[in-house]
Amino acid sequence: MSRDNKPTAERKRRSASQWAVAWRRFKRSKTGVVGLIIVIAVVVMGIIGDFVAPYPAFPNPKALTPFYNNNVRTPPNSHYLLGTDVLGTDVLSDILHGTKYALYVGIVVTAITMAIAIIVGAIAGYFGGWVDNVLMRITEVFLVFPSLLFILVFVRVLTLGAGAGSSINFLGISIPIGLTIVVLVLAVFNWPGDARMIRGEFLRVRELEFVEAEKALGASNKRIIFRHILPNILSSIIVVASLTVAYAILMEAGVSFLGFGDVNTMTWGQILENNFSDARIVWWALLYPGLAILITVFGFNLLGDGLSDALNPRLRD
Amino acid sequence: MEKNNMTETLLKIEGLKTYFFTEAGVVKAVDGITFDVRKGESLGLVGESGSGKTVTALSVLRIVPKPGRIVEGKIEFNGENLLSKSEKEMQSMRGREVAIIFQDPSSSLNPVFNVERQLRDVLTAHEKKMSKEESHKKILELMNLVGIPEAEFRMREYPHQFSGGMKQRVAIARALALQPTLLFADEPTTALDVTIQAQVLDLLEDLKKKMGMSLVMITHDMGIIAKMTTRVVVMYAGNTCEIAKTEDLYEHPRHPYTASLLAAVPRLDRKKTLSIIPGNIPNLIEPPSGCRFHPRCEFATKKCEETPPVLEEVEADHFVACYEWKNITLKGESSK
Amino acid sequence: MFRYIVRRLLYMIPVAIGISIIAFITMYAAGDPITLIKAGKPNVTEATIQALKTYYGLDKPIPVQYLTWLANILQLNFGKSLYGGQSVNLILGPRIWPTIELQLVSLLLAFAISIPIAVYSARKPYSKQDVTVTSFSLFGVSMPTFWFGIILIIIFSFTLGWLPSAGSQGAAGFVWWGNPFFDQIAHLILPVAVLVYVSLAQNIRLIRANMLEILRSDYVLAARASGLSERKVVYSYALRNAITPAITFLGIALGGMIAGAPMTEYVFSWPGLGRQYVTSTLGLDFPTIMGITMIITVMTLIANLIMDIVYVYIDPRVRIR
Repeated sequence: MSRDNKPTAERKRRSASQWAVAWRRFKRSKTGVVGLIIVIAVVVMGIIGDFVAPYPAFPNPKALTPFYNNNVRTPPNSHYLLGTDVLGTDVLSDILHGTKYALYVGIVVTAITMAIAIIVGAIAGYFGGWVDNVLMRITEVFLVFPSLLFILVFVRVLTLGAGAGSSINFLGISIPIGLTIVVLVLAVFNWPGDARMIRGEFLRVRELEFVEAEKALGASNKRIIFRHILPNILSSIIVVASLTVAYAILMEAGVSFLGFGDVNTMTWGQILENNFSDARIVWWALLYPGLAILITVFGFNLLGDGLSDALNPRLRD
Repeated sequence: MEKNNMTETLLKIEGLKTYFFTEAGVVKAVDGITFDVRKGESLGLVGESGSGKTVTALSVLRIVPKPGRIVEGKIEFNGENLLSKSEKEMQSMRGREVAIIFQDPSSSLNPVFNVERQLRDVLTAHEKKMSKEESHKKILELMNLVGIPEAEFRMREYPHQFSGGMKQRVAIARALALQPTLLFADEPTTALDVTIQAQVLDLLEDLKKKMGMSLVMITHDMGIIAKMTTRVVVMYAGNTCEIAKTEDLYEHPRHPYTASLLAAVPRLDRKKTLSIIPGNIPNLIEPPSGCRFHPRCEFATKKCEETPPVLEEVEADHFVACYEWKNITLKGESSK
Repeated sequence: MFRYIVRRLLYMIPVAIGISIIAFITMYAAGDPITLIKAGKPNVTEATIQALKTYYGLDKPIPVQYLTWLANILQLNFGKSLYGGQSVNLILGPRIWPTIELQLVSLLLAFAISIPIAVYSARKPYSKQDVTVTSFSLFGVSMPTFWFGIILIIIFSFTLGWLPSAGSQGAAGFVWWGNPFFDQIAHLILPVAVLVYVSLAQNIRLIRANMLEILRSDYVLAARASGLSERKVVYSYALRNAITPAITFLGIALGGMIAGAPMTEYVFSWPGLGRQYVTSTLGLDFPTIMGITMIITVMTLIANLIMDIVYVYIDPRVRIR
């Protein structure tokens, strides 16, 4: 009468899919859950922000209504919940409108970075050879040199070359060119780091025995990569993606703050840039947009941490 | 109840339960074991990995790592209750009265300190007033004792500069620095080359005689048991199955698990069909009900499934925890 | 060891040159600076543009320009600024030390503070204190450094008036806290606080993670089993092993800090290379941009080298082959 005689149906119920297990673990990680809540809130704000905001987005002239009403630089009051800034726009509206830009930056940078990083990392990690060597040299150089400096130069040069303030129409959405330049530059400088990590993961999984077994069974390289290795790495990729979003939003804010962003695209960083010189007076115009950045980035970092705990359990105890 | 007929009891463990409270559940690594260690004896502690042998040793020293905790039981050393001692008192006992050697000397020695430093730290932890010259002399003695050549020179070297066998000798020196009365050797040769194993085992035997201490040999290797021990405790899944003199255990094992262990040892001197023990190592979070071995035991009855058996005395100094021992005849291994 | 250092120094040269080439090409990616600046100033005549180009040697083909620049750099001549023709050497010279000062002080302080906090946190993982520390670190990593600086200024400078809000020393005639030395310290406090906070967060995460792993190792268990006091086990046996890998990280962190200098220096108007970089890049003052890039690159490379040497000294496994 051994335990092995339990009916198969019962045994199936007990071993849930690995995603369900991960989800359960994730729910228990308080950090992850808080992160998820924050991220969802930000995404919602990004979607409905344009419609909910009391005033339209800059540079729509209506955004300057407080200015015309002589309400420049007013502290928070019942009319302007978070006050007005040096330009005469409502800070609350600015923040709401800026959300979609933040998300745009975060998501697009991450998407591009991940795409390149996975392809390059896969080739380098799985096939090795000259691709691997080249990749490792590149990442080493990136580790050493001052990325921020290059990012700033790139952005500046490209922005002036492209002409500021314009936007193009893509599938009906107006996409700001200046911001897109920042996005592309950030992606270019971000992918080597992630590629290196993914390469490491490929190396690790490649050496696992089941891959050798698959090879012995005659599986093609493509099959091994897509069907066997990638699923194992998926969790690392998800975690890194979440952290990359956080990083991208932070970097864009910094770049805009230093004055390299598009003046007509009112991202959170741009609001800070506009109001910095008047810091003595308009503290509300600096505090709240900054808080928005902080909370959003914090949310994505928490989410990344929570996902990491849930998907890659190391013996916590 | 154990009766001490020949020698005095040094260590008495009764009903010890050490559990690990993990996220996945409570791992009952040691779930009610009872045995004793007598003065000057070589006791074997044998079982598969996961049987709880190491955790037992750690429990005696009270250094069970979190999330582990001693939940129940009695541990008496020289008549003193170890479980009621304060941490400071335990610290004074560790290394001085009771010591332990770990399996892998590459990981049990601190890689960033040289040998002299590590040995000195043990000495000064217990004899704070010891001067540098005194400790230096003592360390030389110790290294010579365990057979490390050129001790004066080598003590300034780092663990990674020693070979596996030499590293283990250093670990032994560390454990014996203060001449403990009881030494736990947790699979001391498993991580070493086969050729070195015999050397280290001989060294241990030698030192035990010289220093008159009790040695608890933790292993899964029945060959080492045969060579090194006079009495054996067989453990399975956190329980004690059988306790007997080594000879008795080999010739007339009384527990089905013991018999399986013996049957699984390959022999070069005669033809023998290698048998395997069917089934899997039990899950320690949800162990089998009753006797933990029952799912893999060919003699299991309904009673075995229901209540865990207790140790009974079969003959002089031979105990077994099995309901069926009277009804079954098990094949032993003669030493001839 | 000596050979190792020499080898590393030699290796630095092609890296530095490679970076300079990349930087050079980057700047010309969209056209030469004069044309670009002209985009915002439609009144400038073609003749003026041509004259400027010739004066600055911008009409020559790019590779020639690069080689000229390289030749000059190797003689430590950084060229002339595109804004007024000042010698770049004169612009950058006095700005080097302030940047180094800020970075070094912050790095050392951050490292020193992070150790006890990380150990404290690692000893009781997932306890209330550990969660507080971990959240604090996560917070630090999420915070926009410049914003943190702004908030600190608003609180401590504008509202409370306790600390100066800009510069590395008091304006002419005015000295904070009594004498020039304390004046320097007063000015350092806020920018250092910002840099330390972010670096602290990263250090704590790393050391804590290392400690957690090491506290579960066999040699820590063996040390306990030998009767060593808990204090010795944690602060001597465990910590020593946890810090060693953190040293290499320090090198990278320093590099990151140096590269992030523009942000902090800008917020506090700190007269360093970072602040200058922002102005120069906005104005596309190529020679200055190149100059600062090279100096910072070399600084980062040297910092990494020093860290690697320190690491070799600390970890006997590497030191003794």
